[in-house]
Formats: sequence, C-alpha cells, structure tokens
Amino acid sequence: MSFESSATAADPAGSPPPHTVLVVDDEPTARLALVARLKRLGYRVIQAGDGKAGLEALRRERPELTILDWMMPEMDGPSFCEYVRQDPELQTSQILMMTSHDQPEQIAEGLARGADDFLSKAASKYEITARVQAGMRAATLVRRLKDATEEIRQKQEALEQELQSAARYVESLLPAPGTILSGVQMAHAYRPSLALGGDLFNVVQWSEDVLGLYLLDASGHGVSPALRSASFATFLRRDSLLRHVGSNDPGAILTEANKQFPLTESGHYFTIVFASLDLRCHTLSYATAGHGGALLHRRSGEVCWMIQPNLPLGFDPSTSYVTATLPIGPGDRLYLLSDGLYEFPAANGELWGQGRLEKTIQALGRQPLETVITETIAEAVRWQGHEQFPDDVALMGIEVAI
Amino acid sequence: MSQDRVFSFDEALARVDDDRETFQMMIELFIEHGPKDLVEAQSALDAGNALGVARSSHKLKGALLQFCAPAALHACKELEESAKAGNLANGAQLYATLEQEVQRLLVALRQVYDKGMAA
Repeated sequence: MSFESSATAADPAGSPPPHTVLVVDDEPTARLALVARLKRLGYRVIQAGDGKAGLEALRRERPELTILDWMMPEMDGPSFCEYVRQDPELQTSQILMMTSHDQPEQIAEGLARGADDFLSKAASKYEITARVQAGMRAATLVRRLKDATEEIRQKQEALEQELQSAARYVESLLPAPGTILSGVQMAHAYRPSLALGGDLFNVVQWSEDVLGLYLLDASGHGVSPALRSASFATFLRRDSLLRHVGSNDPGAILTEANKQFPLTESGHYFTIVFASLDLRCHTLSYATAGHGGALLHRRSGEVCWMIQPNLPLGFDPSTSYVTATLPIGPGDRLYLLSDGLYEFPAANGELWGQGRLEKTIQALGRQPLETVITETIAEAVRWQGHEQFPDDVALMGIEVAI
Repeated sequence: MSQDRVFSFDEALARVDDDRETFQMMIELFIEHGPKDLVEAQSALDAGNALGVARSSHKLKGALLQFCAPAALHACKELEESAKAGNLANGAQLYATLEQEVQRLLVALRQVYDKGMAA
C-alpha cells in the first residue's frame, strides 16, 4: 500500500519543530479521524496503510511516537513492534498499539512483543489525547536518555584517549634496557592498565660504581597520578637529589621525599622502593615507603623479599625511613616490581599473590633476564585469563655480571 | 429507519471535535471503502476463509466505530468474533445482517453528505 504523508507547516518564528507521530492503520476512515485529531493537537503527522510501509516511514522519519493498528495486511502490529525493538536505531520510538483486543493476555502479548502502551479503538477523544501526550513524554525522556548516554560515551572515549596519551608519556620516561652500568644489565616490562595508574621506575647513575634504582607508585588512577609520578621522578634525578638530600642513601632520600610530597588535598600519596647498588663494596642498600618491596634472587637460587613495614610517603612529615643493606654478588638479580604484578585475581577471584610470583621467578632460574621478565608477565596473564591487568604492572630486573 | 437510529451524527461529529470538513472526508472514504470491505468479507466467507473474514470485518469495524453506528458495529463484532473462533457455521446469516446494517449506514451517511455539512 502506498505511503501517504502530511505535515503541519514549519513555524517561521524558529521555535522547535513539532513532535512527529506516525499513524499506521489500513482502515482509512479511522486513520483520517486520528490524523485530524493529532494535527489539531499540534503534531506533525505521517501515515502508512500497512505495517511494511509503516516500518519504512519509521526508518525514514524517526517519529517520536507510532500509533499502530494490531491487525493489518503485510505485517501486523506485534510483528512491527518486534522489528522496531530489534533495531537499535529505532528503539527510542514509543509505540502505542490501537486495538479492540483488550483481554489481559492479548495486552501482555503486545507488551512482550514491544508495544509501550495500548489504546482502545473505542477510546474517547480525551483518552486518545491523554495517551498520545503520555507517549510523547516517554519518547522525549527516552531520547534525552539516549542523547545523554551518547554524550557520556563520547566523553569516555576522549578520556581513554587522554589516558593512552598519558601512558605513552610515562613510557617515554622509562630507562632504555641493556647495559646501564659496566657489569650491570637491566630489562623491564611496563603494562599500563586501561585506567592508568601512577607506576614509574628508573635508574640514577651516581658514579661508575654506584647506581640508584627506584620504582614508585602514585595512588589513584588516571592522568593525575601519572603526572604526579612524573613530578616525583624529577625530584629523583641525580642533580636534584644531590641538591635536596646531598646523599645517595635510600633512607635519607625517602625521608626528604616524605617532606617534599605530602598527602594531596584529595588524600593521594606515593609508595616507593629505592635501592642503591654499590659494585665496589658489593652491597645493595634499600629503603621502602609503604611499598610491597623488591625481590632479590641470588645466583644460589635463594630468594629474599626486601620489605620494610612502614608508612607511604606524605602521611607523617616526621617519619624517618631507614636504610637496610644486603651483600650482593655476581649473578645476583634484583627485581623491583609494582603491587599490580601480584594483586590481581583469577576468574574465580583468587589473587595471584607474592608467593606465586616468587615461585615463578625461581622456576625461571638462570634463563636470560629479559626472558624471566617476559615469562613472568606471561604467567601472570595466564593466571588472570586475559591480557588487561586491573592496575599498572611494572617489573624492572637488574643482574650483576658474573 | 431514521438516521438517528442508524448512527449518531452528533456523537460522531463530537469524536472529531466538530471538524465538519474532516467528517465529510470520512464519509467519502467510507462510501468508497466500506462496500469494498463487505465484498472482501463475502469473498472470504464464500471461500471458507475464516481468517480472511476476521480481517475484513475487523477493518470494517474500525470505520464503524468512527460513526457511532451501534447496530452495524454489533453485527460486525459478531461476525469478527465468530470468524476469529474459526466458526463460519452462522457466517452467512451474520454477514447478511452486517451487510444490511452497513447499507443502512451508507444511506444515512449519503443523506447527511448530500444535505451538506454546514453547521
């Protein structure tokens, strides 16, 4: 059946265009009566004489409200509703089913197949007007909701692009792997989460024999912790440390950093592990602040966690952080790592944990440092069952030459 | 039979907010399409096609509702319900009643139309 269209004239004053109603009914007399009523109510009205033509009109005109007969040739009302509800582009259109089928089970069928409301063909003009206005209010709300959802989606996309950009910036600050000091090899992995945390690690070359190493984590997620970490990394540069601390002692460095980086107004803070490797004295000095620490894997196979129970930076300006010292020898390996490398769950909710991480590194044994780093991350991925970690994952390993 | 017993002019006109131009067009449409719907119902009935009878009478009912024509509407509902139930045993009789009432309505509507719709 051919499609007919009629519309009210556009308002020359520039007010919003009238809402549109599509009337789909194969009976022309009833359709004409309804169309005339809707026009008197100020709506723009389009018409179709069967379900198939109605669906075409709906796709083309996107009316806010469709008033639909139940029994029609080509495509009946309930089938029309099903088509509309399966099409994401048409879902916001409200459907008012006109019928003399006023039995509860038939109304239930209509609702189940996608109608939003019903209107008896014998309804008074007052009821018709009220139902149409109610349907139009619902359509307006649904469309506003859709618009708001789309706006949120676009903002989320922009935010994710910013986070990816920030992650690339953080990566640009990381040290190049390889020989970082004569006799010291370094390899690392950095896997920023979708939300981007504030993990950052680097090396500080004090002299030909002494090397500083750190891995820090700014609390929170997003661009802000990444920028705070970058700011902290500036403080941890050699010239800055010499100026502010005057020493390469890890405890002294963290004690000064604790003063320089108090809690933010929103309560954010840093955790950090800082180590100094002295090749001449064969010692490894370290201090931690609220950090899960580091792992020393000795050539003998022994594993030692370097953990000090103390506050993160910024909580108490009077806190002193103490340096601990361990002997280190040829073939020993030091791993600095973020808590994101062990505080993540498998599908059943069980955390991977420090124990499994330690066993993984032990099992990889004397394989090349880079392989140990790569395979440790791969094992973590296997545990959680997917590639994307919930938090930043950072792992930096160094090996003292034999 | 008087016009008022066939359909309620005042009630039908009130349904379209006393829009006489629209009402006149509705009469024109019904004069054109009503008989076609009757023919379709008759053909379906002759073919023993209950679904076809139900469809045609349903369509006709939509128009009859607009004219507030109780006798024609009642006859139409009877035929539609019977056909929907798949029962065409009394179909011929129900159809005959419907045809008679629709013809009366058409006559009454033509009289209104010919007299003109001026208030």
